[in-house]
Parts: sequence; structure tokens; C-alpha cells
Amino acid sequence: MLALAPMSSPEWAAGVCAGLHAAGSRHVVYVPDNPLSHVLRELRQNYPDVETTIATREEEAFGIAAGLYLGGKRPTVMLQSSGLGNSLNALTSLFVPYQIPALILISMRGDANEWNAAQVPMGRAVAPILDAIEIPNVSAASAESVADTVALVGKTAFSTRRAGACLLPRRITVPAPQVIA
Amino acid sequence: MTRLEATRSMTAWFGDRAVVASLGHPAYDLFAAGDRPANFYTWGSMGLASSIGLGLAMAQPAKRVVVLDGDGSLLMNLGSLATIGWVRPKNLVVIVWDNGVYGTTGGQDTATVHGTNLAGAATAMGISNVTTAETIDGLARVLDRVDAEPGPWVVVAKVTENMPAVKPPLDCVYIKQRFMAAIGSPEAATIGGPA
Repeated sequence: MLALAPMSSPEWAAGVCAGLHAAGSRHVVYVPDNPLSHVLRELRQNYPDVETTIATREEEAFGIAAGLYLGGKRPTVMLQSSGLGNSLNALTSLFVPYQIPALILISMRGDANEWNAAQVPMGRAVAPILDAIEIPNVSAASAESVADTVALVGKTAFSTRRAGACLLPRRITVPAPQVIA
Repeated sequence: MTRLEATRSMTAWFGDRAVVASLGHPAYDLFAAGDRPANFYTWGSMGLASSIGLGLAMAQPAKRVVVLDGDGSLLMNLGSLATIGWVRPKNLVVIVWDNGVYGTTGGQDTATVHGTNLAGAATAMGISNVTTAETIDGLARVLDRVDAEPGPWVVVAKVTENMPAVKPPLDCVYIKQRFMAAIGSPEAATIGGPA
């Protein structure tokens, strides 16, 4: 059997994992996207105590996360920004009124370095939507600071019982813009 | 059997189980049948009761978790059956009150009276223990099987609609804190505690 050397993760993805782990989260519920595959690989390779569950839809992921919290866990929900729209009823009628916390990690589409015009409208709306439904949100400033930012968002969420979001911009997750001819 | 009669018939069986109720009439009838701290009444998030139950069952594998869902609500989140069929928590039972109508919103037909078979859907999604119940006695026999065989279970209970007369408390935070304390969730004790 061929032994494959573990792939090294990009700094931002290693930072996401270190940050959520530092915030005490051991359960990640997600709907995948391409950049987040780096996070998932890093979790598999270096965080055996973190359990991951894939959901069929972002709203479902939030439902599972709410149940994990009710059962005493600290859930992380990972999604692409396009899935935020699918999540809004769970956030506004479950997480906010019941004061259920989660660490929300949003892999951005539609911001700088986006090649797909269909992703742009939601990408522009992510932060205003989160502001409108009163979910604290910050955007990671650099690959080096992702770990600290994610840890802070998570610790704040779980210590205040208020879901909080960290946006992962494409200039960090997809640093080389893709160009289609 | 009406949904309220069926819910009332289960109260002794609930015991120390955690019970998650879908919003509207299933939650109202659970409250009417007997309020208890280990009831989690949802006031929104239509469709997510089974997902909440799945997360809870994953977090506390030793705790028996019951979901009281509606046919209309489950139709809104059928993907949940796929995830339950994948994760296969032994301690999860999803009861689907199938009355063929969106009872909380005025009695419009659901797809289950026009050909949709939710028990068949659950089986097709990989859930091995799926059954139906149409009477109080039949439901009691099903619950005996649920006790004898590990889950996940999906029980489609054919009920008729009834108009609830009472509602659970509107204080969502109270519902949650009381529920978490009742089922022994560690976070319930950390009000103001460390991050």
C-alpha cells in the first residue's frame, strides 16, 4: 500500500482549524465548498477529536448545530456565502430568539477575486444581512490572523450565547484569481 | 386518532426522554398533553425539528431523543432523512404526525394525501427502522418495538387534525434553559461562565 505524505494546508485553513479548536468546538456541521475542502482535510489530518457532519442544505446544518448545542456541545457551522440565504429562517427564528450560539464560518463568494457573476449579488449582501438580523460578524483580515479571529468569534459566541460569524474572503482563500477566457 | 389523543397516549412513555416538537400544532399538543422541562417547543424554524433531534442525539448518545414532527414540516426538510440515514443515531426516534394537512396554517392539503409516502421516503433515505401507526393501540405496539430495537426510527402516525386550545410559553430562552438543565447539558450550568 502506498503511503501518501499528508498534504500541507494553506495557512488560512490551518488557522480556521486552530481557531475553532481554541474556541472549544469539537463538532463541525457543514455544506462544502472548494476552499473549505482545505479546512476539512486539515481537520481530518490534525484534529482527530473534531467530528464533522455534512448536511444536505445549510438550513439543515443549522438545525443539527442547534441540537448539538442543546446537548451541551459547541457547534461550528461552515458554509459558502451562497448558502446564507438558505439559512435565514433557522437563524432568525431559532438561533436568535432562543439565544443559541454557534461559530459560523462563511467561505465568501462574490467578493474580490470572484469570476462567477451569479455569485456577486449574495456576496455583496452577506454582511448587510448578518447586520440586519443582529448576528455579529467580522471578516478575516489576513491568512496569518485567521486563527485568532476565528477563536475570538467562537469564544465570544459561546460565552454570550449569541451566534457569531467569521467571513473568509476570497483574497485569502483563493489568492490567485481564476480567469475564464 | 387525533394528534392530541396520540400525543396524550405517549406521555408515560416519554419518561426521561428528550422531546423536540415541531412548531405550531405538534408543539401545542405536546404542551396540552403535559408540560415537562425536557420538552423543547420550537416556535419557528419550520422543518428543522428532526435536524435538532439529530444534533441532540449525536451530542448525547446515552439520551433517548424523540422528535414530534408534522408531515408538512418534514416535507420542508426531506434532506434531514438522508442525513439521519447516514449518521444513524441509535437513540433517535422521529414521530411524524401525518394528518395530510398544513394544520397550523389553515388546513391546506399536504402532498401526503396526493401520493407522497413519507414512510417510503424514510426507507429510501437509508433508515432501516420505519413503520406506520394508525390507532392508539397500534402506536403503543410500535413504541414497544422502538424500545426493543435500536434506532434511528421513523414512525409515520396517521392522525386527524384537532384544534389546539393552549400554547406553550412564548419565552424561548426559558424553554431552552429549562430543557438543557432537564437533560443535563453541561452548557446549562455555565451562565456567565468561562469562554
